[in-house]
Amino acid sequence: MTLPPGGPGRRTSPLIVLVHTVTFRQARQFVPAVIPLLAATGFGGGTRTVVALVVGVTALSLATAALTWWRFGYADGPATVVVTRGLLARSVRTVPNDRIRGVEVEAPVLHRLFGLVRVRIDAAAGATAGNDEELLIDGLPHAEGDRLRLAVLTHRSAPPQAPGADVEPERAGELFARFDNRWLLYAPLVGSYLAVPLAAVGALFRLADELPDRFRPHLDEYPLLDGHLLAFAVVAAVLLLTLGSVAGAAVVNWGFRLERQGGSLIATRGLVTRRHTELEIDRIRGCTVAEGAGMRLVGAARASALVTGLGDAARRGQLLPLGPRAEAWALTRRLVRDPGPLRRHPAAARRRRVVRAVFAGLLVTLAGVVATALEGWWPLLVAGVILTLLGIPLGLGRYAALGHAVGAESLAVRSGWAVREEAVLERRAVVAWRVEQSFFQRRAGLATVVACVGAGNGGYAAVDMAADEVPAFAVAASGPWAATLSQPAR
Amino acid sequence: MTALPSPVREPAWSLSRSAIGLWVTESVISSLVLAIGAAAVVLFLPSEPGTPLPALRWLVPIAALLYAAVAIGVRPWFKHRVYRWEVTADAVFTRTGWLSQTWTLVPISRIQTVDVTRGVLQQLFGLSTVAVLTASSQGTVRIWHLESDVAQRVAEDLAHRAEQVRDQAT
Repeated sequence: MTLPPGGPGRRTSPLIVLVHTVTFRQARQFVPAVIPLLAATGFGGGTRTVVALVVGVTALSLATAALTWWRFGYADGPATVVVTRGLLARSVRTVPNDRIRGVEVEAPVLHRLFGLVRVRIDAAAGATAGNDEELLIDGLPHAEGDRLRLAVLTHRSAPPQAPGADVEPERAGELFARFDNRWLLYAPLVGSYLAVPLAAVGALFRLADELPDRFRPHLDEYPLLDGHLLAFAVVAAVLLLTLGSVAGAAVVNWGFRLERQGGSLIATRGLVTRRHTELEIDRIRGCTVAEGAGMRLVGAARASALVTGLGDAARRGQLLPLGPRAEAWALTRRLVRDPGPLRRHPAAARRRRVVRAVFAGLLVTLAGVVATALEGWWPLLVAGVILTLLGIPLGLGRYAALGHAVGAESLAVRSGWAVREEAVLERRAVVAWRVEQSFFQRRAGLATVVACVGAGNGGYAAVDMAADEVPAFAVAASGPWAATLSQPAR
Repeated sequence: MTALPSPVREPAWSLSRSAIGLWVTESVISSLVLAIGAAAVVLFLPSEPGTPLPALRWLVPIAALLYAAVAIGVRPWFKHRVYRWEVTADAVFTRTGWLSQTWTLVPISRIQTVDVTRGVLQQLFGLSTVAVLTASSQGTVRIWHLESDVAQRVAEDLAHRAEQVRDQAT
């Protein structure tokens, strides 16, 4: 096998062949081709056919896993990381070390049984996220994974540790945050964790649909509308959702630790699959603190870092996946300077938020008036009035979320009601300004200002700020170049 | 619209008059597509009395006609007043839009790439679009419909200056 120059060619551990055989990692792609083949020959053979099938598939899986392992090589040189792979068509990918934005080490369950890890090297450029920008080296021994991570990030090759020595260099780091298991109790109030048990229930229903009729319980024989049964079902559902979301949060966040080690932040998390994510502090341009409507009730929040050129930033940039508000803010303040308290937006912004929130309800009410007048059908009218009334507190809530602030080195913008998100950005993070003014905003003397940032979702908006404050805000929050917004060129 | 205060000043330079021709052509094409749709509604909609469907038979063509009148007769000239651009010593500044307007300001030090594109219709009118890209997916500034030779010069000038003043931050 030919490995390019730049360092000695290295191979992954042969044990990975076993892992991939069991999980059918490579053989999976043959499944669509095999099924019609089998369907054509018919499944008539009974038990013997099934056994033959299992043996055949396993052998195929073993063969492809072994071939993949045999044809896979990597090398980390002083300036580049090179990965060669491919069964028939060879591919050689070379990534210069200075383009590497992050390294993630993860250890799924099976990998942990064999003492292996999977290393992802992220070399994404800007907003073009995609798997093509990623190097995946699957199946390294634990110590070698750590060595590779350190070597790639410090841009020099450290001597490999003896496999027996259980040295954990992370211990030396400065602890930034650590997950308190009591915070798992916040999970039922967070939308994304609630989705976990809901998805499970959905899958269960799909499964039940496909069961043959004779295995299905005959629900229509029970008196479904019985009050006690209904109440019991509701209580059971709530309990299931609560437990499911807590369990889901525990699986993802178990043992979360965030620590600083030299120039990077290292996050470790996960109950089943341990993940080890590294963020370069130099590339952090700001932080966001997000609080959902449910989270605000109990004072919980989520903090993420905005890192330039980080693929899959929503997951990897997490500083605190779930925790008390104060903790999230303390973490944010350590990374980005406090720009001072938020300034409220003008009263016209409140009018605009309320009008927008009430608008849908008013439309329904109007339709309801027509329906009542023509057909005497009033439920639509009632629904419209209720929607309109609910729109008022929603609009006020959305207005209360609005705010912006500028400090000496940073700026902050906040908006959103269902998920209220405050972004605190460094001044140098702003790569462009976009000022938007709709017809109605122009009449109200408002404008929306978007600070474009090469990290996170690309832009953070100060919604509906007073139009005449825009130029001063932009100059204070970025640099003298923003003066172009107000002064003509000399 | 000029009476109401604008949040930021307007960029100094306007587009060439050929942009109006391009916008009129675009509007004529979209109006034709709409007319085909409206004709289909008139031809194939069942006309049973007692339902709101017959009203659609004349509402749809009227709406299409209104759209065509505004898009061909008014919007191109309106857009020509709104679309403006400027390249200053340290930034690229544009205004786009129509009823809703957007100003975009990109400092030359943060420019990553400069593209010049010429669409099929643009080629008929000898126009090009200069797109200035930054590290942010939302921080792209497009100078629409410049004369091709101007666009080429602007792009070369911007790329050259970005090379000289580029700083590390993204």
